[in-house]
Amino acid sequence: MGCQNMTGFVDLYSEGGTFLHRIDARVKIVAVLFLSVLAFLLSNVYSLTLLLAFIFILLFLARASLSRTWFALRFVIRFMVLIVVLWPIFDPSGTPVWATFGPVKITEPAVWRGVTSAVRVGCLACVWYILMFTTSQRDLVRALVKMGLRFDFGLALAISLRFLPTFSATIDSIKDAERARGMELDKGSLLKRSRNYVAILVPTIVSALRSADTLSLALHSRAYGARADRTYLREPKMRRQDAAALSVVIALLVVPVFFKFVLGVPL
Amino acid sequence: MNALRMRDVSVRYPDADRDSLDSVSLDIARGEWVLLLGANGAGKSTLCMLTNGLIPHVVKCSLKGQVEVFGKDVARHSVATLSTKVGIVFQEPENQLFCMSAEEEVAFGPENLAIDREEIAARVEWALETVGLLGCNDRPPSSLSGGQKQRLAIAAALSMRPEMLVLDEPTYALDPIGRIELYSLLADLKKKHNMTVLVVERDAEEAAAFADRIALMSEGRIVRTGRPKEVLADPNALRFIGVPPPQLCEFSEALYTRVGGPKIDSITLEAVAREISTVLSAKKGVEVIHP
Repeated sequence: MGCQNMTGFVDLYSEGGTFLHRIDARVKIVAVLFLSVLAFLLSNVYSLTLLLAFIFILLFLARASLSRTWFALRFVIRFMVLIVVLWPIFDPSGTPVWATFGPVKITEPAVWRGVTSAVRVGCLACVWYILMFTTSQRDLVRALVKMGLRFDFGLALAISLRFLPTFSATIDSIKDAERARGMELDKGSLLKRSRNYVAILVPTIVSALRSADTLSLALHSRAYGARADRTYLREPKMRRQDAAALSVVIALLVVPVFFKFVLGVPL
Repeated sequence: MNALRMRDVSVRYPDADRDSLDSVSLDIARGEWVLLLGANGAGKSTLCMLTNGLIPHVVKCSLKGQVEVFGKDVARHSVATLSTKVGIVFQEPENQLFCMSAEEEVAFGPENLAIDREEIAARVEWALETVGLLGCNDRPPSSLSGGQKQRLAIAAALSMRPEMLVLDEPTYALDPIGRIELYSLLADLKKKHNMTVLVVERDAEEAAAFADRIALMSEGRIVRTGRPKEVLADPNALRFIGVPPPQLCEFSEALYTRVGGPKIDSITLEAVAREISTVLSAKKGVEVIHP
């Protein structure tokens, strides 16, 4: 159970053959960064909503299963609602004032600022989901290394992603073993419960350290770090459609920036 | 030139109160299969780590004596260099597979050696085919069964094109059928590629019949070496060092003490069955039905 949850949470990727799956992961990473920057640059709630709609269309083109999409969107929507509700409460500036509850003033500009921020957060989150839905961890790490991330950092990242489910499984079996011997993990006061978890933490860390030992021996045994000019069996290659996608991505950032900052259109 | 040549090798880990290896000498010929048996803490893993230079290069300890693999002194060559001679497979498949797909796992070693892409692709294909995992290229190692994981670990070692495989309790997590599959794979490699094999186990159950020679280890010393038949003929020697004798040997021993007759010294099921029928048919009143 826990293992599945953990994997599901960490690895949102679902296999598929959509064009979003096929695009070079590097282009997708650039796209995510550009669209994030765009979300920060835009300050008009309508243009931000348009951006969010565009991102939503892409998100559904990624064709992740509905349950997975919902799993991902649930958090975003909750967070957006929270922003819309809380922003006006803590931001009393501007007029007209819509309502006053004791010291709390709800003003119209504050409500709009709340909505704008919520939409911006929605854009930022969903654009990452598109990347996670359509790019396997393997391709992601490969792309990052190809983009200049040091190989050892890439390997460290890949190894941590790879071992998350393993640790999750270890924690589960330790929990089960302790429960089977009568330990009640979820009973008692908050302090008691958190103390209970120390009994899980210690064996987990010990087991992690042991794994790390073997891992390091295995890495060395396979000539890790032998040469600086290591080769790669598979490397991401930029194809024509990737180049086309990249130019679209660049246009997506450059055109609004031009309109907003050069022509002064209030986007 | 031998595959492995150890002369008076002693290893002591920092803070240990005794040597983990205590003046060990061992020769393994090219193409030979040696089974190293010993209880926990006998020094088996330490010996394994010497064969590709993990000791002294990675694991910190004091090393005395001389270890040569295929004529190369391990103290003077890097683990990377030695890894093209000796491939190591560890006990826990889970902790030695760290890539996101079987293919990457096998390609990892050759990639580190900066070998050409085409050559790596050919090696990956060959290694996966040899261990019977062709077609699983894109599967994450975590999705494989215990036996498949261990075979993938062997493929990952094979892609370095070693001349010797060292396996440290490779069948620890496998059932008897998985064990026999694994040993058969090694037997195949030995036959086709003259692979030298050093297998370390805590019991001789399925392993003995495959080996050319057995070495018994206890408290950092090699206490006995010999052909499997000779070594297993003395189950007490195994018990003495904390290694359970194979069930077949225990059975033959029990039969000898109760029925007498010539001592049965075979170690395969077929041969033992044949010998038992000879022993029994020599007794009066026992009729043996031959299949």
